[in-house]
Amino acid sequence: MTIQTQKQEKQLIVFLEGRLDTNSSPELEEYLKSRIDEIRELVFDFEHLEYISSAGLRVLLAAQKQMNRQGSMIVRNVSEPIREIFDVTGFCDILTIEA
Amino acid sequence: MKKIFSGLKKKLNRITVKSLVGTVALLVLFTAIVSIAGYRSFTNALMQQYAEDAFKTADVAAAMVDADDIPAYLFSGNTDLEYRLTRQQLRQVCDNSGAFFLYVICPDVTDYWHITFVYSTVSSQSGYTEFEFGYVRETTNEDYRTKYQMLYEGQSGQELVVRDRGYIPSDKHITAMVPLKGSDGATRAILCVQYQMSELDSVRMGFIYKVLLILIIVLILVILIQVFYLHRLLLKPIHTITQEASRFAAENEKAGEPLTHSIRNQDEIGILAGSVDRMEEQVEQYIENLTIATAEKERIQTELNLATSIQSSMLPDQFPAFPGREEFDLYAAMDPAREVGGDFYDYFLIDEDHLCMLIADVSGKGIPAALFMMGSMIILKNMAGTGKSPAQILFDANHAICENNKNDMFVSVWLGILEISTGTLTAANAGHEYPAVCHAGGSFEIFRDKHGLVLGAMPGVKFKDYEITLAPGSRIFVYTDGVPEATDNEKSMFGLDRLIEALNQQLNASPEQILTHVRSAVDRFVKEAEQFDDLTMLCLEYKGKTKV
Repeated sequence: MTIQTQKQEKQLIVFLEGRLDTNSSPELEEYLKSRIDEIRELVFDFEHLEYISSAGLRVLLAAQKQMNRQGSMIVRNVSEPIREIFDVTGFCDILTIEA
Repeated sequence: MKKIFSGLKKKLNRITVKSLVGTVALLVLFTAIVSIAGYRSFTNALMQQYAEDAFKTADVAAAMVDADDIPAYLFSGNTDLEYRLTRQQLRQVCDNSGAFFLYVICPDVTDYWHITFVYSTVSSQSGYTEFEFGYVRETTNEDYRTKYQMLYEGQSGQELVVRDRGYIPSDKHITAMVPLKGSDGATRAILCVQYQMSELDSVRMGFIYKVLLILIIVLILVILIQVFYLHRLLLKPIHTITQEASRFAAENEKAGEPLTHSIRNQDEIGILAGSVDRMEEQVEQYIENLTIATAEKERIQTELNLATSIQSSMLPDQFPAFPGREEFDLYAAMDPAREVGGDFYDYFLIDEDHLCMLIADVSGKGIPAALFMMGSMIILKNMAGTGKSPAQILFDANHAICENNKNDMFVSVWLGILEISTGTLTAANAGHEYPAVCHAGGSFEIFRDKHGLVLGAMPGVKFKDYEITLAPGSRIFVYTDGVPEATDNEKSMFGLDRLIEALNQQLNASPEQILTHVRSAVDRFVKEAEQFDDLTMLCLEYKGKTKV
């Protein structure tokens, strides 16, 4: 998995590519931990994300909880298989998903 | 003796032999150069000495001969008293000087190839006999001939012929020649003095023998010193190091005394000894660490095995699950990808008419997931026993799980309660996979039920109950995502379509057969690819009140 970010003042856009699974999730968790403290708007761009496992959902959940306290979080460009995962797990209820 | 020799041979191994060959070769070359140079300078010095002596004798003798008389003697063929006196004097000179042969000749001046003896005296030691007056013979060789001619033609005042090479009838000898001149200055005859160079060979060979003797002594000394030196400074330490290295390889225990205590060389050998010492220390340290790490690993493995056993004992695995209950048949299995997993299932009778079933999947894997699973399972079981509806059970469980969930773990749960008498299944889904339902006489289909959020994610989340009425012969199959997401080597997933296909291949199979069949379909699909997710399935067949 590759992580790329784009930062504008208090907004951070995270582009993920590949598979966000048990092996790559700790990397994303570590990556976000040091970067989102000052952020007011966190955006995940999933255009090139192929798969998300429960471990990846856990990272998203943690980020969502933190952003609930300090601003907002958006997940965008969600592909159909990942949309399906969000639906099944009920994450679509707590995440702000832009098509 | 043989033993000592072979022992010596062993010690004089290749290093010694090689270095000795080099030294000996150098010494032999040096000796050869010294010998040749010595031989030459000896020859030159002796030759010069002989020549000087010969010319001195020749000068003395020449003064005794009156050259002006010689033509008359030769012409007449007769000698007189003066001749005999002169001959007597020459004999004395010859005897006293150490010369072997002293003679006066007249060459045939047309081509110098014949000589006529005028005087001829020999030393008494020589054993030669004198030539008579007027004796004629051929000039010995070209060398003599040229020199006779040069003396006669006044081109030089004295000549020397050296015969020390090739075949010589007598000993090696040297002949000094001076011209005898008449009162008019013309050469009348040649006086020759011949010295034997008998000493030349003995002196020269004596020198060579001495040099050879010295060489042999020096060689022996050098070999002894070198062998001793090599043995003491090179071979012995290397032998010690080699022995220590093989000892260490066999025993893996550091030496009591480091090599550097006995090997004090300040050279590469010393460095090698130091390196071996350090290596032994480090290897021992490494082995120690490895032993500790292995013990630790074994301990963890033992604990993990115990954890596996505890976890699997948490899950009901006695089948048939409810002997004596003919109204339904149920089978479940959990297969963790690692020693412990995050999946679990449970089933139990809440009362005589209500069967509770649940299947769940904790986020993540391994020990963290297993720990979270244990807590969640206990909470769910406690909540389910209270007789509330599935949605209410999930709501309460979520509340309990969220209370102490600092690590943002969560668990997806499908929970259903079957009213055995009517076949009504009431269920709720907290972010879990869709169940597959097969109504009596039909085939399995994915049932897209109402979904809530996974448990543990957010407090206060509400869930909705839904009902499915199961006619006798209906089945419901629930599973965790390890089944549809089983992945083969090409990264493609087993998927829901293949799952449904596998379920429908044996429509009349028992729940146990269905699970076995799905499991083998998954195995066939992934082939050799390693699986990273737990695989859990539960299947219920509702038979209704077929028998009373």
